[in-house]
Amino acid sequence: MDVKILSRPLDQAGRRSLEDYRAAGGYAAARKALTELTPAEVLAEVKAANLRGRGGAGFPAGLKWSFIPAGGSSIKYLCVNADEGEPGTFKDHFLLSRQPHLVLEGALLAAYAVGIHTAYIYIRGEYEIVARRLETAIAEAVREGLLGIDILGRGFALNVYVHRGAGAYICGEETALLESLEGKRGLPRLKPPFPASVGLFGKPTVVNNVETLANLPGIILHGADWFLSLGCLKDGGTRLFSLSGAVARPGVYELPSGTRLRDIIFTHGGGLLPGRTLKAVIPGGMSAPILTPEEIDVPMDCDSLAAAGSMLGSGGIIVIDDSVPMIVVLDRIAKFYAHESCGQCPPCRVGTSWIRRIVRRMAAGGRRPGDVDEIARLAGAMMGRTLCPLGDAAALPLLGLVRKFKKELEE
Amino acid sequence: MAKIEIDGRSLEVAERTSILVAAGGAGIEIPHFCAHPGLVPEGTCRMCVVEVEGAAKLELACSTPVREGLKVTTESPRIREARRGVLEFLLADHPVDCPICDKAGECRLQDYYWDYGLFSGSFREGKERREKLLRIGERLLLDRERCVLCTRCVRFLRDVTRTRELGVFERGVRSEIGIYENTPIASGYAGNLVDLCPVGAITDTSFRFKTRTWFLEPRPSICPFCARGCRIEVDYHPGFARRSGSEGIFRVRPQIEATPRGPWICDAGRYGGLDLEPRRISEIVWNKGSGASTLTWEKAWSLVKAKIQALVDSSRTDRMTVLLHSGLTNEDLASAKNVFEAVRPRPRIRFADPPLGEDDGFLSTAEQTANLAGARVLGFDLRPIVPEEIGRETELLLMFAGPFADRILSGPFTAAIDPIRTKVLFTSVSENLSGSFDLVFPCALPFETAGSYTNIEGRRQPFAAVRFPRGEVKTEGAIIRAIADVFGLNGGQPEGGS
Repeated sequence: MDVKILSRPLDQAGRRSLEDYRAAGGYAAARKALTELTPAEVLAEVKAANLRGRGGAGFPAGLKWSFIPAGGSSIKYLCVNADEGEPGTFKDHFLLSRQPHLVLEGALLAAYAVGIHTAYIYIRGEYEIVARRLETAIAEAVREGLLGIDILGRGFALNVYVHRGAGAYICGEETALLESLEGKRGLPRLKPPFPASVGLFGKPTVVNNVETLANLPGIILHGADWFLSLGCLKDGGTRLFSLSGAVARPGVYELPSGTRLRDIIFTHGGGLLPGRTLKAVIPGGMSAPILTPEEIDVPMDCDSLAAAGSMLGSGGIIVIDDSVPMIVVLDRIAKFYAHESCGQCPPCRVGTSWIRRIVRRMAAGGRRPGDVDEIARLAGAMMGRTLCPLGDAAALPLLGLVRKFKKELEE
Repeated sequence: MAKIEIDGRSLEVAERTSILVAAGGAGIEIPHFCAHPGLVPEGTCRMCVVEVEGAAKLELACSTPVREGLKVTTESPRIREARRGVLEFLLADHPVDCPICDKAGECRLQDYYWDYGLFSGSFREGKERREKLLRIGERLLLDRERCVLCTRCVRFLRDVTRTRELGVFERGVRSEIGIYENTPIASGYAGNLVDLCPVGAITDTSFRFKTRTWFLEPRPSICPFCARGCRIEVDYHPGFARRSGSEGIFRVRPQIEATPRGPWICDAGRYGGLDLEPRRISEIVWNKGSGASTLTWEKAWSLVKAKIQALVDSSRTDRMTVLLHSGLTNEDLASAKNVFEAVRPRPRIRFADPPLGEDDGFLSTAEQTANLAGARVLGFDLRPIVPEEIGRETELLLMFAGPFADRILSGPFTAAIDPIRTKVLFTSVSENLSGSFDLVFPCALPFETAGSYTNIEGRRQPFAAVRFPRGEVKTEGAIIRAIADVFGLNGGQPEGGS
């Protein structure tokens, strides 16, 4: 099966202009929505499609929008989360650099459905070139009356601004993103209140991932049933999988939700490099617990991976072959979370650092009996005990790794 | 109001109250570092976790509002495990230097370790080394190794004083509290940071290494240094039986109900009393001719008595001027009024107060004394005095200056009253210009007297003495009663005698 919705024109590199996008049927969904559908109908369609967030948590987008208090005139914001920081994930970069208008059209549909007139694209600081392309795309769309005031002559307004982050993983967490956007330190907020009621500058705010929004034009044009038919029962559509590591053909692959992990690696990714054997796979960005070669027949959708004790997360697949010692993987993971913990909650602030100190000592040859159990114990003490999901995001992969590769790590 | 249940106890509390506050009101203490009654909950220390019926995860007591029918459990093996975990993380890099830490004895980390920890730590890695002696304010030092990053200090300066002198720098385990560009905290409320700090990270140079907290007895009082009338705790060391010099007042803190604007006091109130102590006088000085000598109370008082008696005998008591100040208690002022208004011919009774300061828009009032409202209610003549007029028409001046002598007396003032034949000063502190008075009597410092002040909102607030004056030092009330005796009048009950 070869379905290409998000990446259809992606095949032709360099064709990212508004002209190209429209030639391929772009902004037809926006025209349909603004001329034929009420905002409530757009919302209903997205809800029916059960579009699950592509940022990592997999929360249904339509449901998220419906938490925004009704009432037409009050100020609301849309924040496009383009702070793609999850290690092993590069699909938003791919989308934004090759299909900026697909994302902008998605943002327009979301804004129309919820009654929002201001959108901020929070893009990670390192994506400087992509940010510039986005600015260009926004200028094109405004010029053609597809963004700005009186869009398509229908009296709807949406102003879109690009804001570059400064390089913090935590700013991908939606409330930290809002803080950062407000000009403060990017620290996650205490929830509730959730952004839907108190978000950016204290106003109701929708935060959606880039890829989530990119799915909207398809849903509006072809309908929820079409979308659901692409994927699996509760997790429709296609997904952009970022495939990296020890595979023959790394890259971004658009495949239906529920495609088996084995097929992604061996059929689409061309398998491992010659002479190597598979040792482990991280299936959904670094925060997703690691899978062993025996576990890769799992379908890549939110619920199947949760059942397998991991998560689909951002769809970033990292393939690890037999040449990599697991202590190196452990070291990378521990170092990353210790470096990126914002430092607000003691379990995450100290837990990530404590584990990192143990791992660093182990990697330097100073292993002591009980180290692996201690890491598991500390990771367990972080689980569910922090303000934001970073504590769990750090604890889960560490726990998975030390459990599944305990023997190797203790050798 | 919502009917809720905490640990099986039925309570009725206002909607939107947090579980932490609701439980605290019922005497159920839920441990916490970052929450504070004067600050908005931040939810980061993770210590106040409780079980809420129907919720899968542990909830934060500080930020979960009560609702009708809420059932909360504040102690369970699962809760203990979570709290123990937080303590283990907080203690991993902590220096555990309690024996030399000023906070020992009232440190939350220490107390909670006793309640929930008592583990022999399994941390075997190198501890993070951090700055241990960072001056962040005139009297404030920060030890970053002891800090638990509750950010109470940062939030106080952000949300309460809005001066924002502190921030969190770096991130993760390197996170640290700091000032910006070496600019120390300038807020006149900085002292509150020491009370706010739940551990020994922020210490006060005026308290550091002076005593141990467990020797101190908190005694409630009313701040005497402006008209706000903040409710305070005065930490008093009753002294050791066989070691002199240990007795005294070591610290002043706000009560939880210090002011309607929160549990805060200004630095002027916090340090005012402590700063007076080294300047106090304890002997009666007789400035006679070119020399000064000390007198006993009996001898000195006999001189005052003789001067008053001479005026009484010659019916010239109207040539006597009594200068009071509005830092006197309602009771002392009432005695003074009863005594001096009963004398015929009437002596002149006027007020000499320290000049007005600036109302800072928060707690500090322009009035520098605690009882101006009380003096007004009692019907005194509070118009500003003309020293030259007093100098011309007075033979005997009895001037009460309390702790304000240095702010009331000035070169022009003493020059104007110089013609007065006999000048008597009752003061708590030494003051260069007191040499122009014939007799200078030492009086009690604030906290050594009892009574009541009426604050700027018209609230009359009684208070007891924290300690009593010693030796020749008398309260101004006792002196007013001694004067009453000379006139053969009853000056009222001695303070603390009711």
